[in-house]
Amino acid sequence: MLRATLKGMASRKARLVLTSLAVVLGTMFVAAAMILTATMEKSVTGVIADAFTDVDAVVSSADDPAAAQGNTPSATLIPADVLETVAGVDGVEAADGDVTGQVNAIGDDGKLVGAFAPTIGFNWTDADTGFNEIREGRGPEADNEVIVSARFVSDAGLGLGDTVTAYSYTADRAEYEIVGVFGLSGDRDSLAGETQMGFTTTAAQRLLTQGEDAYMAIYVDGDVSTDAIAEAVGPDYRVRTGEEASEEAAQGFAVVADIMGYIFLGFGLVAVFVSVFLIINTFTIIVAQRQRELALLRAIGAARGQVVGSVLAEAVVIGVIASIVGLGLGVLLGWGLSQLVSSTVMGGLPVQLQVPATALGALAVGIGVTVLSAIIPAVKASGVPPVAAMRDAVNPPKPLRGITIAGIAVTAVGGVLVALGLTDNLGDLGLGGFLTGVGIAFVGITLLTPILSRPLVALLGSVMSWTFEGRLGKLNAGRNPRRTAITASALMIAVALVTGIATLVSSFKATTEELTDQNLESDLIVMGQQGANIPTFSRETLAEIKALPDAAAVGDLYGELFGAEVDDEPTTLYASEDLATSLAVFSGTVAEGSVDDLPDDGLAVNESAAEDRGLALGDTVQVAFADNTTAQLEIAAILDDSQLTDGWWVAPAQIEHFTVPKPMQAYIQVAEGADIAAVEDEVDSILADEPEVNVTNNAEFVEQQTGQLDVLLASVQILLALAIIIAIIGVVNTLVLSVLERTRELGLLRAVGMTRGQARRMITVESVIICLFGAVLGIAVGIGLGWTVQRALEEEGLTSFALPWALIVSYLVAAVAVGLLAAIAPAARAAKLNVLSAIAYE
Amino acid sequence: MSTTSPVRTTAVSAEGLWKAYGMGEAQVVALRDVSVQFESGAFTAIMGPSGSGKSTLMHCLAGLDTTDRGTVHIGDTAVTGLNDKALTKLRRDKIGFIFQQFNLLPTLTAEENITLPAAIAGAKADPAWLDQIIKTLNLADRLSHKPTELSGGQQQRVACARALATRPEVVFADEPTGNLDTRSGTEVLRFLRTSVDDFGQTIVMVTHDPSAAAYADRVVFLADGQIVEDMSEPTADRVIDKMKHFEELVAAAQGEHA
Repeated sequence: MLRATLKGMASRKARLVLTSLAVVLGTMFVAAAMILTATMEKSVTGVIADAFTDVDAVVSSADDPAAAQGNTPSATLIPADVLETVAGVDGVEAADGDVTGQVNAIGDDGKLVGAFAPTIGFNWTDADTGFNEIREGRGPEADNEVIVSARFVSDAGLGLGDTVTAYSYTADRAEYEIVGVFGLSGDRDSLAGETQMGFTTTAAQRLLTQGEDAYMAIYVDGDVSTDAIAEAVGPDYRVRTGEEASEEAAQGFAVVADIMGYIFLGFGLVAVFVSVFLIINTFTIIVAQRQRELALLRAIGAARGQVVGSVLAEAVVIGVIASIVGLGLGVLLGWGLSQLVSSTVMGGLPVQLQVPATALGALAVGIGVTVLSAIIPAVKASGVPPVAAMRDAVNPPKPLRGITIAGIAVTAVGGVLVALGLTDNLGDLGLGGFLTGVGIAFVGITLLTPILSRPLVALLGSVMSWTFEGRLGKLNAGRNPRRTAITASALMIAVALVTGIATLVSSFKATTEELTDQNLESDLIVMGQQGANIPTFSRETLAEIKALPDAAAVGDLYGELFGAEVDDEPTTLYASEDLATSLAVFSGTVAEGSVDDLPDDGLAVNESAAEDRGLALGDTVQVAFADNTTAQLEIAAILDDSQLTDGWWVAPAQIEHFTVPKPMQAYIQVAEGADIAAVEDEVDSILADEPEVNVTNNAEFVEQQTGQLDVLLASVQILLALAIIIAIIGVVNTLVLSVLERTRELGLLRAVGMTRGQARRMITVESVIICLFGAVLGIAVGIGLGWTVQRALEEEGLTSFALPWALIVSYLVAAVAVGLLAAIAPAARAAKLNVLSAIAYE
Repeated sequence: MSTTSPVRTTAVSAEGLWKAYGMGEAQVVALRDVSVQFESGAFTAIMGPSGSGKSTLMHCLAGLDTTDRGTVHIGDTAVTGLNDKALTKLRRDKIGFIFQQFNLLPTLTAEENITLPAAIAGAKADPAWLDQIIKTLNLADRLSHKPTELSGGQQQRVACARALATRPEVVFADEPTGNLDTRSGTEVLRFLRTSVDDFGQTIVMVTHDPSAAAYADRVVFLADGQIVEDMSEPTADRVIDKMKHFEELVAAAQGEHA
């Protein structure tokens, strides 16, 4: 029996290749995702592992281990006397205080160095020379000297002997002379794309600790146990070995790789899901074509089980071969992606290829999916009556009632889950429930596609049946609703996902536009793009803008985005130099109390935020600022809820306690009659010396706010292109098999006078209809998906729903193009058929 | 030429046809210098045992297969040497086909199948003529049916109607009754006879059934790629008789060309 299967397979090579392709692609992406994750993790760990290898112990604040990595601005500094204590512990040979944090430097072009990767400032000590290698010059000796990383040199366009301006959230600009350039161990210019500046300890403290003689961490050298140090410094500090510190640091970095891995895995799984359709379809068609052969096997005594086994054996062979090939290609792709991620995001991190054991899971996925997909066709095959071998079997299309009822039921289950997830009825399972619901609804809608295909294919087809061959193509497309539906479903899923996301993006744009139009009284906005750092400008600049004669009113915004707490709950704080004016610019209104001359211990908060915490006008709350100071503040005003002004507003006097005590945004209302463009120019010239922010009008503002979403959308489209490629292969596969299946029909048509061109067009129309059907369905489902999510996010501020018309039209056009493309090979095959052998074809 | 003239013209002619398949040792000569004419308005049967070349001859005559040597004319058109496009047009406009099986497109109704060649040509079939064929074939109440809803005999009658719908120069029928029961087969043959007698249609039919051949005006016997006998006014008995002595005919033919 197995011999018969294998021999049969050998005679159908082309079909096998097409089926295998889907399995190969799916497996490839799943494997690549796993390899990317493991490789990046390994590569990052490899780099970070070096970071503290020379260090025997690391002392950091017990409060905030993240501070030791310099990842977040932290208030939990280690005072200088602790350093002395550590240095005094028996066995400690050297103890170096580390000051590390984010700084800003202005490059040769007057812009900020490293827009998307941070510039790290630290105190350069002898300990640094192990990990860092001086390439030119020397370390800083004076407080106005700096040694920079090689990446800094290339990014900033500055070199040895040049003067560079640097500052931080808390420190004003100062000039430093570049006295040295260093590289990282392993001859690298950067760890992960960042630029680095090494200062003297005093200079680093001026920039990063507001001049306080304190450190973020202490690195210890010497033959000493961590316990001994811990005993000396007390419970406020955490002591780790260098290895432990390296591991933790690496984990922090590895998260980035993990997230990327998950994203790729997600798209890989979408690809696998899509290829399921392709495999089911192919096996169904193969079985249909082998009907006579299978019937013959049954007639000469093969049991039903043997027929199932014969088809499944074919699936196993395809699954194994295709999965192995897919795994192999996945290793290549994973390596390539790792190189790409490394060179674009990680700043040329050397890639250490890692094939994790889990990548073998991709093999299991590939084989499993193939075999499972083949089960239904296999069982159907076993139902072929032996007598079918003797006669020309007619396969009337099966009734669609069963599948339709199942589809309605499954869609309903998915819909209910989505609804429950959206209405917060699933508690903590909300997101998972929602996503599961979406997945189930997808399956349900897929089951409904056959019944939907009848009217839709007829409708789409009627557009194309102005020629006779077009009409034949339309009839062929509608001939087997299940097959057409499965083929189109693959396309539907990919299109639905992109359309859903595109709908959300366009809704977000519409919402932003509406907010700006209706609530923003200002005409010009000063702000920067959020990159690696929080863009700010100086108070002096703000004052200059406020002093402009044509500025009728200027709203300003300060923010504490890290680490502040109100009554022990982490809370974002805002402040404005003149809250009354700012509220007016944002169309915010006061419900109770007053914001005029907000007292230093006063607080304004919007109604629902106050309500959430059971607070009312006159109540007092305890506010803990990021700099470890606390204050009792009294609620002096309750604001009406409004998206632009919701939040906790403290008095201008408290701004000095913010991590970033600088204005982040300014909103300028231009005096009536004044030329907005002229004022924009004036502001622009004031901002000449502010590299982080720029001035935009409202339209540009909306553009800027939503621009990043376009990038997101583009990335999603690129990643889903894979699923679309598989879907296209599915269309090609279905068409090729249909052509094979209808060889005699084509022969007949050619015999009675159909030209090759007509035959080609007939297949092409069928292809375009299938693709359009998939796209139309996908667009409908995607819009539904986008609408559902928008409803869910309405309370979070996504108030408008807008359709991405341009994209929808382009997807339809793309569907036609895909249809034309997919038809090329099958149509050529149909046109080339030898009329004589086609007629005689069995 | 006048339509009333009893003088018959030649609808299809072949001159010195040679056709071989394969190469070298495995080469099989299917047609050996075959020359034959088919008069218009006549019903000719081509008979012969399996492998005699009768199907090949029909395929070459119909422009479905190429010839190695010799020429084929349909009416005034030289078939030999035509490119695919011209051959397609020739088949569409001048030739009708009836195959043993699988004559109809399952997606189209009986009526659409009948008008298929006209639809492919982007033309409209002559409605009066169609009515007449449909009536003769007794298909009027089956026109909206799909092939799967028709019996084998009905399907083959639809195929006959399609073959005649364009008033082709010649209808080639390849074992048209091979898949039918006797009654249905008789119906089809009677119709073919009628179409020759009443409509002046030219028909060339390949068959191995003597009783089918008896419906023809003439039977051409083929053996070993050569015409070995040409019988006019055949009856089933005469055909059977001839076939009984077929081995002698073949031997004679071989002797002749040896």
